[in-house]
Amino acid sequence: MSTSAPDTEIAIHRAGAQRMGFFTDTSVCIGCKACEVACKQWNDLPADGSQSGKGVSYDHTGDLSASTWRHVRFVELFEPSPQLREEARRALDAGAGGKLPAIPAAGGPDLVDSAQAAPGLVDVADAVGKMGDWVFMSDVCKHCTNAGCLDACPTGALIRTEYQTVVLQPDVCNGCGYCVTACPFGVVDRDHVDGRAGKCTLCYDRLEDGLEPACAKSCPTDSIQFGPHEELVEIATRRVAELHERGIEGAYLYGAGDEPEDELAGGLGSFFLLTEPPERYGLPAHADSPVQENVVPATLAAVGAGLLASAGTVVAFAIAARRGRRQGGASTW
Amino acid sequence: MSDEREDIQPALGTRGGPASWSPAEPGAPVELARPDFGDARWSYLYKTGDTGYADAEPAPGQVAGANRRMRDAPVSDINGPFIHAPLWGWEVATYFWLGGTASGSAFVALACDAAGDHRSAAIARKVALGAVAPAPALLIADLGRPERFLNMTRIFKPRSPMNTGAWCLVAFSGSGALAVGCDLIGRPKAARTLGALTALFGTYLGSYTGVLLACSAVPLWSGARTILGPAFIATATATGAAATRLVLVASGLPHEHPTRSALGAIETGAMLTELSISRLGERRLGDAADALDRGRAGLYFRTAKSLVALGLSLRLVARRTGSREHDLASVVYLTAGLLFRFAWVYGGHDSARDDKVVAAVARHTRERRATSLRRSVLPLPDVLRRGYGEAVRVTSLAIERRLRR
Repeated sequence: MSTSAPDTEIAIHRAGAQRMGFFTDTSVCIGCKACEVACKQWNDLPADGSQSGKGVSYDHTGDLSASTWRHVRFVELFEPSPQLREEARRALDAGAGGKLPAIPAAGGPDLVDSAQAAPGLVDVADAVGKMGDWVFMSDVCKHCTNAGCLDACPTGALIRTEYQTVVLQPDVCNGCGYCVTACPFGVVDRDHVDGRAGKCTLCYDRLEDGLEPACAKSCPTDSIQFGPHEELVEIATRRVAELHERGIEGAYLYGAGDEPEDELAGGLGSFFLLTEPPERYGLPAHADSPVQENVVPATLAAVGAGLLASAGTVVAFAIAARRGRRQGGASTW
Repeated sequence: MSDEREDIQPALGTRGGPASWSPAEPGAPVELARPDFGDARWSYLYKTGDTGYADAEPAPGQVAGANRRMRDAPVSDINGPFIHAPLWGWEVATYFWLGGTASGSAFVALACDAAGDHRSAAIARKVALGAVAPAPALLIADLGRPERFLNMTRIFKPRSPMNTGAWCLVAFSGSGALAVGCDLIGRPKAARTLGALTALFGTYLGSYTGVLLACSAVPLWSGARTILGPAFIATATATGAAATRLVLVASGLPHEHPTRSALGAIETGAMLTELSISRLGERRLGDAADALDRGRAGLYFRTAKSLVALGLSLRLVARRTGSREHDLASVVYLTAGLLFRFAWVYGGHDSARDDKVVAAVARHTRERRATSLRRSVLPLPDVLRRGYGEAVRVTSLAIERRLRR
């Protein structure tokens, strides 16, 4: 992976440093939120208050913010996922033709429906399929190759490190809020108490001492894997192939292993293995640095219109002056 | 959000204080640390080969194909939030209006000088300076850390519209103040030259705000990337002409004076241009334009449009009755200009919160990209487009490298 940072970026260079990143494999995430806690502890981030029940699937964190740099999204699926279908198929294979005795009462309406469809027996595949599923995804800053926040930052507070991660220097940031609107993933935010923006640093301080980031360190199922980007992509593509082989056809990578025209923001430094379309995790199907996408056409249109407007003003005055002279009015010029 | 978090004290330093850190002893070994992230390798649970975690060898194109398939797959339910809403409020919207009025007045000063009305030009230059004077205060008030406002000019970064805009504001206010100073000490020639320079900076000061909004992930703003700059400069010209007109009228410029009729024509023409550009924008934006129809932004936008209509009818009335109605029309245009800025800024807030539109716009962009890549019969246009993009990139790199040296 030779996605070296463009020269225009304010970057720290160090010989021998390579691109580091996260590979977050949602297929093994159990939603324990250890990463969130470890991140808060290591980075000394304040609590987000004890407001519970934000209405999103028992998730009390809600969103990434200036004080939450890892966030485990709880995604309730109302359609069965490929994984769940696979589980049902296995249950079918294991059981006698997939029919089990119906358990009265306890089940929801779907189970009752199924029971009525086949009196005395419940079709496992059908019942499981109707029950829906719950998937978890530990969201984090993507450390994009084309980072919108880094392009937008007017003060140079956001920099590219030697590990090709994007880090915010808190002693430079003046809280203008431009990075917040320039992030296509809704990662960066401004702290309303502190006044500065905040986001994941990929534990830059730990990396300097040869330690892995706190979230990856704490992850009990190794859903969050940290390492050299190249190695992570290698593992991730093999994992996708493995899952396909096991019948989970929906497994794919978000932010790595794409053809050049499909790349998300030039490739993500921290990428994900997902099993559902990206929008279910609050991720866009397409993303790029909004600055790199728009700044040239927008500036051309704006400056062109500005020149036209000033020229138009001059022309309007010339016309009025001529008319005034023709009418022989009280022109004093 | 509850205020409870404010009670939590950081373990180190003070809350809100500088958070820079440095190792106590540079280069000192850290307990348990391994060179080359050795400790990271310990936690590769699945790397031992006995777990069957990632044993399969991917076929060529298998992963890229799966990625494309799933990103294009139909999705019935989406789970937001996708992006964060902008933090910019009334300060920024008012600054857009003031900066626009200042640059419009700078255009008027230039035009007055060109037409030979130097008395009006000097007044227009004062209007421009007066309009831009409160701008820095508003922008500083909007910062999360106002005392660090100087950091805006810490670097020169052509890529960031906010950085170039801050520099442009410095240049515009500087040359505008010098021009007024030259007027006051009786150096008209220097004042005219500086006034022309101010107008040149004004072409960017009045329009870059549109670029600033366009370079964002907000669908309403980025979708209107070629609309916002022209629309903002049109409003800027209209409000600049209206403000200068009112001041000139107050200064006793005679009713039949050509400058007054020219300013009247400019404010009306520019407002009509703004209306038609906005209309065009709404049509181009499609669903993303909904944010301009609903809620607070919708109210601002509708009111602004009705005010423009009111201004136009007042001008028609003024043709028969006199200038009092026309003065009122100028006030109405100024208000409409302010409301247009508020509508675009607050519309962005609603647009960012509209998860359905954010997701749909991303999909649409992806489709458009994919079709444009696949549909091209001749490889030439694509090659040209990429070649041009590459040339622009290399040029801007070269410019920036030279500037940073």
